[in-house]
Amino acid sequence: MSLLGKLFRASLRLKIVLPISLIIAVSLLLISGYLIDRQSAGYIQELEASGRTMLRMLAINAESGVLFGNKYELDELLKTPAQFESVKYVVISNTDGATLAELHESTMVTAGLHRKSSNSPVHDSIAVELSNGSDGEEYLVLSMPVVTFKQAFSTENLGITGGLDAATEREVIGHIELGLSLDKVNQAIFEAKFAAYLFTLVVLVGTILLLAFIVGAITRPVRVLVDVTDQVSKGDLTQRVNITQRDEIGHLADTFNRMIESLKQSRDEVEQYNRNLEEKIIERTLQLEEAQAQLIQSEKMSAIGQLAAGVAHELNNPLGGILGYAQFTLEKLNKNIPEKTTAKEIQSYIRYVSDIETQARRCKTIVQNLLKFSRSSRTVDFADVDVNKAIEETLSFVAHQLHLSQIELDVQLDPKLPHIQGNIGQLQQVFTNLIINAMHASKPGALIVITSRYSPALGEFGGAVELMFKDHGHGIKDENLKKIFEPFFTTKEIGKGTGLGLSVSYGIVKEHGGEITVTSEVGAGSTFTVVLPVQKPETDSDNRKEANYSFGQ
Amino acid sequence: MARILVIDDSQVIRDLLADFLADSGHFVDCVEDSEEGIRMALAGSYDICICDLHIPKKNGFQIYQAISATKPKLTFIMTDSLPDSLADQISEAGVPYILRKPFDLDQLREVLATVCASIKTI
Repeated sequence: MSLLGKLFRASLRLKIVLPISLIIAVSLLLISGYLIDRQSAGYIQELEASGRTMLRMLAINAESGVLFGNKYELDELLKTPAQFESVKYVVISNTDGATLAELHESTMVTAGLHRKSSNSPVHDSIAVELSNGSDGEEYLVLSMPVVTFKQAFSTENLGITGGLDAATEREVIGHIELGLSLDKVNQAIFEAKFAAYLFTLVVLVGTILLLAFIVGAITRPVRVLVDVTDQVSKGDLTQRVNITQRDEIGHLADTFNRMIESLKQSRDEVEQYNRNLEEKIIERTLQLEEAQAQLIQSEKMSAIGQLAAGVAHELNNPLGGILGYAQFTLEKLNKNIPEKTTAKEIQSYIRYVSDIETQARRCKTIVQNLLKFSRSSRTVDFADVDVNKAIEETLSFVAHQLHLSQIELDVQLDPKLPHIQGNIGQLQQVFTNLIINAMHASKPGALIVITSRYSPALGEFGGAVELMFKDHGHGIKDENLKKIFEPFFTTKEIGKGTGLGLSVSYGIVKEHGGEITVTSEVGAGSTFTVVLPVQKPETDSDNRKEANYSFGQ
Repeated sequence: MARILVIDDSQVIRDLLADFLADSGHFVDCVEDSEEGIRMALAGSYDICICDLHIPKKNGFQIYQAISATKPKLTFIMTDSLPDSLADQISEAGVPYILRKPFDLDQLREVLATVCASIKTI
């Protein structure tokens, strides 16, 4: 950036002070220059006037001296001007140019000058010239002819006043030249100039200081305003303009302060609102997650309810065995006479009690499976899941239900299936739901095929596990096919299904980063395909959970 | 002393009934498969059929329907592991005795006594 550019961008103070100072300085210099010019002209005129008087006096008094070539008389004459400081030289010469007398020898100056003086006999024809001497000094040179009167010497004529008339004849008999020094004039002009410059400088400095003070008084609050505005624009709304003066600037400052105050209030309100909103979002998100967890849990309980018949049946048979064998054994032992007990009888008792033990263990397994299945789905922790094992456990639980419904089961599990990252409880819920649905759709004797296989091409990293649940039931109508994953959509009778099973399953599979799809043909059956990636891809909801967690801390 | 056919898909129940009924002096045949059970019931001359209601292929109710017309003298004792599953239906169809699993041996003994008494009177 150029210096000029910088100057124009400089402060208000500089912008005001600089031009005004310049104008004042130029004006003062012009005025004083004009006055000095006038004054110096006056000095010169004055000098010239006194020079003329002196020259005329000398010319008149030199007449006889020149006429008679009396050098002594002329030297005496020149003693008078010698007393004047300004008189540099006087030269009296005859018409031939020979010097008759001179004061302060100054031939270099006079050389050739006197010739310029008129040879005209007019007595007051004074030639004036400003000339530079060979010594470099400036002189005011005045010259005039020395005149004598040729007259007819008649006595009668002498008595007549104003006798210098046509009867007299003027004759130039010599020249007189007077050189006046301009030193004094120049000195005076120099002093005047010096005074003018000094005065200009003083006025200028005074003006600058005064202006700087005045402008400063005006711009100081403006600068404060600018500083505060700067701070405010950077977001610091705690700043206030501290100006108390009662003028436009003070009013501006008040207005500005009010503006900052209302701006701060608005910003605080917005921030508060945002904070509340954030808290509400977090709260609602937690509520939603809680509600979803409850939904999943209640749907699971609904599934357990639907499996209750199978579970009861499965439990009641071993319990019947336990109860019956315990009673039978007791009765036998009560009737038994120890001394007559045969080895065969003891063998029987051992078998009965072994059966009781076996059946009790079976009950224990069933109850454990039930508890395992009904364990809360609220834990969202993901862990290594062997999907095949998860399916087998699910089947152990629903098998009797299928058995009761006389459904044939064909399970083909890929033994090389990799483990996936998932929540086993939630996945088993999906499998149970799909198997129960298939069972409900199937007629007795129908076949349900469950397969698992590894698909390296699916999923982002490490492929995916693909599970198929194929039934040969009544199938799903096209118009319903799009809705089956919607919450509360059900084709079952009221009370037989919540309409949430598939939508919950859909949510669980999505949570695992997977896909659940369905193909169906009315009358031929449906196939549900669940694809679960081996590595769960990062999702927004994971990040959100992490963010929430860190917020919670 | 009666000839009894047990149709049940539970191994332990079949074993228990076989042990208990034999000990009580009855003649017992046990079968797991429902269709095999129907065939045996129709072919043999049993007095009593103790049949589980919930078994694969044909359930107890279907077994009863398949046999009762041909063998009117065969008395059915239905065992049921579920509360109120088909109970009303079974009673209406004329099945006289229903035992809920798990049942006490005294309950079974009582039912058997009643049935045997009625058989003797006939």
